[in-house]
Amino acid sequence: MLARKPPGALVSVAPMGEAQANGIRICLFAGLREQAGWAEQHVPVAAAAQEPLTPEHLWNSLQLPGPLSSMRIAINHQFADPQTPLQPGDELAFLPPISGG
Amino acid sequence: MPLRITLHTTAFEPLEALAQWQQELLIGGQTPSAAESLFIGRVRGEAADGSALAALELEHYPGMTERQLEQLAQGCMARHGALSCLIQHRIGRVLPGEAIVLVAIGADRRGPAQRCCQELLEALKHDAPFWKREWHADGRSTWITGNTPL
Repeated sequence: MLARKPPGALVSVAPMGEAQANGIRICLFAGLREQAGWAEQHVPVAAAAQEPLTPEHLWNSLQLPGPLSSMRIAINHQFADPQTPLQPGDELAFLPPISGG
Repeated sequence: MPLRITLHTTAFEPLEALAQWQQELLIGGQTPSAAESLFIGRVRGEAADGSALAALELEHYPGMTERQLEQLAQGCMARHGALSCLIQHRIGRVLPGEAIVLVAIGADRRGPAQRCCQELLEALKHDAPFWKREWHADGRSTWITGNTPL
């Protein structure tokens, strides 16, 4: 069970589709996108943040549906762990179970 | 090592794509591989629940899917000493009977060709960001979570 740790003042979610300079772009796909009701958001990152923002923080603060453990995470198109520190300008994607081929 | 990855938004004919690839390799000066292994995957006419399938929708993650396919193919080719690799994959709405995927591996011997083809196909199915949605005849749709058994 992942700890639920809302980042509070570290994160405020911009209106859907509104670009934020130096923020983090968050992308959802397939069934997760439809459950959440949005495909993409930009989250600003506070310059004076005391602790690094992670995919796990954002999953919890955005109140995305289901357990994060059922998702895979990609940062800048590479698979990553839920605790990977995010940097301004990163693209974060939450990927529901893959079924290609 | 020659490697080509194409995502098709419309129907493609896998044997024609393979013939064109082989022709281009020849023109490029590569002698035909002594061994070649290929896999073609097509859409079934049945959904997972046994009902008739109207279509399959293939979603991908633009940019990451291509990058991931390239990394998977390069790693697999290096491990098996493969000489060439062609991956063709559909995205968008695919009808029953249409090809979803073609993987063709050229190598010096059948063992590396077959092992590389199988390993790459499994890697593609599990580690390249694609998602399938089944569209049923009555208009319902269902996202598939996971892959069919080997």
